[in-house]
Amino acid sequence: MGLPLFDASSDPGPSFFHFASRAGIAPQISDGGLDLPHATTVIAVKFDGGVVMVADRQATSYYIANRDVRKIEAADRFTGIAISGTAARGMEFIRMAQLSFEHYEKMTDSSLSLEGKANYLSPIIQSNNLHTPLVVMPLLAGFDTNHQVGRIFEYDGAGGCYERSDFATIGSGSPFAEGTLRLGFKTNMTQEEAFELGALALYEAGDNDPSTGGPDFVRNIFPMIVSITEEGFVEMDQSEVGERFRVINERRSQNLGIAGGTLR
Amino acid sequence: MNTFYVSPEQLIKDRAEFAQKGIARGRSLIGAIFEGGVVLVAENPSASLNKISEIYDRIAFAGVGKYNEFDRLREAGIRWADSTGFTYSRDDVDARALANYYAQHLGDMFTEGQKPLEVEILVAQLGSKIRPTKLYRIGYEGTISDENRFAVLGGDAETIKDRFAKTETLDVDLASTLRNAVSALAGPDRTIPVSDLEVCVLTDEGARRTFARLKDERVTELLG
Repeated sequence: MGLPLFDASSDPGPSFFHFASRAGIAPQISDGGLDLPHATTVIAVKFDGGVVMVADRQATSYYIANRDVRKIEAADRFTGIAISGTAARGMEFIRMAQLSFEHYEKMTDSSLSLEGKANYLSPIIQSNNLHTPLVVMPLLAGFDTNHQVGRIFEYDGAGGCYERSDFATIGSGSPFAEGTLRLGFKTNMTQEEAFELGALALYEAGDNDPSTGGPDFVRNIFPMIVSITEEGFVEMDQSEVGERFRVINERRSQNLGIAGGTLR
Repeated sequence: MNTFYVSPEQLIKDRAEFAQKGIARGRSLIGAIFEGGVVLVAENPSASLNKISEIYDRIAFAGVGKYNEFDRLREAGIRWADSTGFTYSRDDVDARALANYYAQHLGDMFTEGQKPLEVEILVAQLGSKIRPTKLYRIGYEGTISDENRFAVLGGDAETIKDRFAKTETLDVDLASTLRNAVSALAGPDRTIPVSDLEVCVLTDEGARRTFARLKDERVTELLG
């Protein structure tokens, strides 16, 4: 490609997606029809000082396609982006989001607000989901540096963007995760409480949804847990994640697999 | 139609004079390689209309002359780099390729445009395992040169170049390179206030992105 110059009237501005679509390097729409691997459960929980995100690691088609997929990525220092739905489109979407935010920052010498990022993704999701069965459902969570607070943005299939004041969950395992989150969520939780609740909700999803991979003690592959606070995006070490799930698993084993009337 | 014959020599001369005049009116900029990376220093009284910018992980841009003209080139450079990295890999974004595209465009505008662009630009690359640290200087007529030590653009570039060359030694740290650059820009009878300096660096601190814009406090501290 040569030097992408535009006149003032046709300039795509600092939006990488609009430029990429025009240049033909953004993913093209197709009617698919294949049974492609899809990614499943992701959870975001707000706490006092930020957000916690938890995701399983499994990509599933008729069989398990991949056991160590990363469904949460840092979109930038204070923003996490997670995907469910068609894995291929999801990965592409994460790359597009990451690059778009960086592109904007370089073009304008200022970064987008968290709300600006959330709104920016809406038409991208819409153009993908309304034109192909290869649906992508992302989740955006981060620390809003302008307002010093953690925020979560959820999307519907048509790209509608909704801010959640408590928690959000996406993917096929979300009904099971949602149940746990509904019962366990409190306002003004500590980070530790949010870690615990998020892990427990993911454990439930992995337990009941065949497409969600729970903790894999055989291969030592565990869900991803990240926190986003004023310190930025921090991913929890896999050994620490493993330890947390081992504790939950032990409790369940003693109780023959049921929670037993309390959230634990 | 009424056309007059103008010899190619005359045409080139006129155009070059026109571009040179525009560029010499502005203030100068120095890009220099020091032991820890690349430093770009511009005399720029505006705190928001920047002359120096990040292009990619290890590439920076600096321009002198007409702001609207080099800013458009800067934006095109960011688009080119981001789309190349998106299509292939981040490792495949090479400053030399970008410098060549700039040279082609400036060359085309010089010979075929309504008027030549009144800009000079610098593309700086911080070295890695696969590429060297380089400064590519591209003139208004599309000439491209790669500098291994430093480059001066705009204003009275020749005088500043001589001044900086006298103080410049290899493998010095950021503070002394910056001091030398600022005194070369200022000359013997003038001091430039820190608020009129735009200073950016490309340094490898282990992160993917290596570009940083230095705040006035940090510049003051470095200048000592």
